[in-house]
Amino acid sequence: MKWFALALATAGILCASNPPKPRKTLAKPPAPATKLTKDEQIVHVLNRLTFGPRPGDEEEVRRMGIDRWIDLQLHPDRIPENPILADKLKPFETVRLTPAEILKGYPLIAPGMMIRFTPLNEILKQDQVNKLYNGTVEERKGIIDGLDPETRKKVLTSVAPQMLAVVPELKKEAEDARKAQQEERMAAMKKMNPPLNELLTEQAQRDIALRGKPAQVAELLSQFDETKRRQLASAIPRQQLGGLPEYRRMGIAQRQPQEVVMSDLRESKVLRAVYSSRQLEEVLVDFWYNHFNVFEGKQSVRPLLASYERDAIRPNVLGHFKDLLLATARHPAVLYYLDNWESIAPGAFDIGPFAPPVEQMARQLAQRARGLNENYGREIMELHTLGVDGGYTQQDVVNVARCFTGWTIAKPATDPQYVFAAFMHDYGAKTILGHIIPAGGGETDGLQAIDILAHHPSTARFISKELAQRFVADNPPQTLIDRMAQTFLKTDGDIRAVLSTMFSSPEFYSDGAYQTKVKSPLEMVASAARATGAEALDGFMLAQRIADLGEPLYGKLEPTGYPNTGEAWLNSAGLFARINFASALTNGALQGVNVDPTRLDGKDSTAIARQLLGHDPSAETREVIGNPASGKPQPSKAIAALVIGSPDFQKR
Amino acid sequence: MLTRRIFLRGSAVVMAGAGIAPSWLARAAANTNGRKKVLVALFQRGAADGLNIVVPFGDKSYKDLRPTIAIAEPGSQNSAIDLDGYFGLHPQLQPLKDLWDRKQLAIVEATGSPDSSRSHFDAQDFMESGTASRSIGDGWLNRALAPATPETSPLRALSIGSQLPRTLRGDRAAIAVANGQNFGVGNPDAARLLEKMYARTADARLETTGKDAFAAMKMVQSISNAQYTPANNAQYGPGGDLGRSLQQIARFIKADVGVEAAFADIGGWDHHGNEPGQLFGLLTQYSNAIKAFSLDLGDRLDDVVLVTMSEFGRTAKENGDSGTDHGHGSVMMVVGGSVAGGRVYGKWPGLASEQLFEGRDLAATTDYRDVLGELVSRHLGQKDLSRVFPGYSVGPALGLLT
Repeated sequence: MKWFALALATAGILCASNPPKPRKTLAKPPAPATKLTKDEQIVHVLNRLTFGPRPGDEEEVRRMGIDRWIDLQLHPDRIPENPILADKLKPFETVRLTPAEILKGYPLIAPGMMIRFTPLNEILKQDQVNKLYNGTVEERKGIIDGLDPETRKKVLTSVAPQMLAVVPELKKEAEDARKAQQEERMAAMKKMNPPLNELLTEQAQRDIALRGKPAQVAELLSQFDETKRRQLASAIPRQQLGGLPEYRRMGIAQRQPQEVVMSDLRESKVLRAVYSSRQLEEVLVDFWYNHFNVFEGKQSVRPLLASYERDAIRPNVLGHFKDLLLATARHPAVLYYLDNWESIAPGAFDIGPFAPPVEQMARQLAQRARGLNENYGREIMELHTLGVDGGYTQQDVVNVARCFTGWTIAKPATDPQYVFAAFMHDYGAKTILGHIIPAGGGETDGLQAIDILAHHPSTARFISKELAQRFVADNPPQTLIDRMAQTFLKTDGDIRAVLSTMFSSPEFYSDGAYQTKVKSPLEMVASAARATGAEALDGFMLAQRIADLGEPLYGKLEPTGYPNTGEAWLNSAGLFARINFASALTNGALQGVNVDPTRLDGKDSTAIARQLLGHDPSAETREVIGNPASGKPQPSKAIAALVIGSPDFQKR
Repeated sequence: MLTRRIFLRGSAVVMAGAGIAPSWLARAAANTNGRKKVLVALFQRGAADGLNIVVPFGDKSYKDLRPTIAIAEPGSQNSAIDLDGYFGLHPQLQPLKDLWDRKQLAIVEATGSPDSSRSHFDAQDFMESGTASRSIGDGWLNRALAPATPETSPLRALSIGSQLPRTLRGDRAAIAVANGQNFGVGNPDAARLLEKMYARTADARLETTGKDAFAAMKMVQSISNAQYTPANNAQYGPGGDLGRSLQQIARFIKADVGVEAAFADIGGWDHHGNEPGQLFGLLTQYSNAIKAFSLDLGDRLDDVVLVTMSEFGRTAKENGDSGTDHGHGSVMMVVGGSVAGGRVYGKWPGLASEQLFEGRDLAATTDYRDVLGELVSRHLGQKDLSRVFPGYSVGPALGLLT
């Protein structure tokens, strides 16, 4: 490779007005005139449009021709999906459900695990509650005595202690009732989820449960009836159930059903990254989810996420940006995460007797909402469209927020859907970025705001820059961004067209792009699984490692999402996590992830490196893996671990 | 100078052998004053029963609320250790009495969070995030640290355990050390080869990251592998696992490698039943570990503040199982050479039934963030508290530091 580097450097000197910058500092993108060889181009497009090359991918691209291959990836509906993928995704039911189905089938807490604190006004009528709290001692006693024993017990456990202070006879009864309820709860909890040593009385069985391989564990569990299997699935450490997704889901559902939703999402995402044939589509789903990030940890958002990614993001990743923007703006996940659902016009509190019927919760919400919430108004401009330097003012933030008042969620607790609630809307006139939106609009105010933002030149530049950062270089050349932005504006924000401009640009195929990006944790783990041809029986262990490396999926708190540039991943902990993952993967230490050790047999260290990287290793890597200190040749597993942990493999 | 020499003796050989001395270390070593202020956070997981740890024997309601599990007032067998005539220590906290007398132990009563979920998972998450009702991705102690410079040590923030706790997650680099002796890359041969690859890579960012990482690894391993005798005859043994964790932290602090923030936790405080038995064991560990830590640090204790916290307290009234259930307010302890100790801070709300939170728990009259905020700002020197505790306005200092 050295002669080639020299040739490139010479070309650089001849073509550029500045002397070629040394490779170590990557502060400025080098001259776009430097081109890659055909082989480098093939590796490059695989690294950038997919989650990493698999054995055989290079030949396929070469056979098809790069341009045809890219065009195919840009039209995923023309690519037959990998049949293995559907099988692997089958256990993860919740990714296919609506929010209503998830809320019904996967409640926040397992039934029987905890008794929800029932507010009094769900047990008694409002006038009874009033008497209970504000009436005379006789009135209060009267209410209680007038209840049937079941309701009486319920009320006494739910009523505030202050109320009982004036009726001391009931105080002891209430205490006893509360104590009894607590004892019931603890007994029920213990019965539902006994510890492992109560479930398995024989040491041999416990050994299998705690240390056996997946097949052995599955065999052990199949010996028991359904109830006991569920309890065992809950008691056995999750690590041990790697490779057994059905049992693992069962175990999680025993204690925290709603957590199944998150594990399904994460594991599906990882498996798609590794196995989908529609690789560019998967990369774009990851890109756009991060762009329109929603954090899974915000209280009630989890049941909404499967739908968000499936219904709002995925169908629009290669379409027109304005459609994607609208789909996210209307989705309950975004309305909730960025608080727009409780943004209400000032002075709209008094909903009065003529308000349209709304769910009780929305009504309570409206009553407690403090007024206009600017969060979405700001983030839609700062993060989703114009970018922080896009030229909007604080007044614009307020006015955009005013446009979106009324964009809220109906039936949030049972069947969350977008709804426009007129009584929450600010009907006054607004000016956004110089555009006047006259008074009296209603839902169309928000639609107009989206129209204005989607077509703003700053949006074209911001989106182009983000795409270029993800696909070309951390610091992409302005010339490329400008060209992509032009395409964006000319095609009404056609993402496919913008990507096409990018993938056919000289900047994309330049020295400044080739192998210059640091892989994100998702990219690193997925590319390692793909490069080794690993067979993942499920995505659990891989998803966990991705979190260890620093990118818990769906777990980025801030609306900015995970960055498209590399510096976030460069720290000691992350680096060791990558190196140790490389070792665990190649040694077969990841439960449920199998790497065939014979694939690399008979190959020398450079050949192994070439196979795993998809290109020749760097001189320093080649030298190190070829010359172990001990002088003895290393087993191919060890070399594979070194290659996947090497600096070469961290780049793409 | 003594501590630098010990460190250099232990690890310089290893590092010199590899031919790599990280630039930050060279500069730090040249800087004669390598002593940094350290804040150590100790989390008691499970909701520790403040009322039986620091016993309010002076409150008339205490004994009535806990007919079988109350700690007897000072003067009898197994009674509380008198602190100030109103509060006393659980008898197993005897090792901490010295610290109290030397004014190196301060107690803050009736602390807590506005969060009333009484859910372990959520409340721990919120407390580690430094909020009242939200889980945010990073932790208060990470946000309390200043931005890194080329001189910043890769070991500036460390936690003992295999997972980095939320308290220390965030923008500032922090490491989790489970077993110092094989921290980093398990296999030493592989470690050597990988280090070489990263040292020679053309990618500047990976080269720097690799250099820092392997320097941290060698540092951690050499400190953990070196022969170590705790100073001042400190006995970590009776401190159990917590003792081991605090000993690790003490070794790193004394090695002068630039530790600024550290974290350790101790679980098991969720005693719904058999509280007297459980607390006996836990508090024995707890007090011996903290005592040994303070002794071992010697005069370095002046630069160190250790603060304890728990996600919430327990019910004022005992339950039918000689235990207590999830409550609200609890107690925090602050230990250090520069602590204004020998006093109980905070506003005692009382245990009469109308004084209890929701009629069942000790109320929380001091937000835990007021305690942590004072330590972060006056001990660590981080004045931007709105960044450390977003959405909260830290109240006036209690005067915990001299």
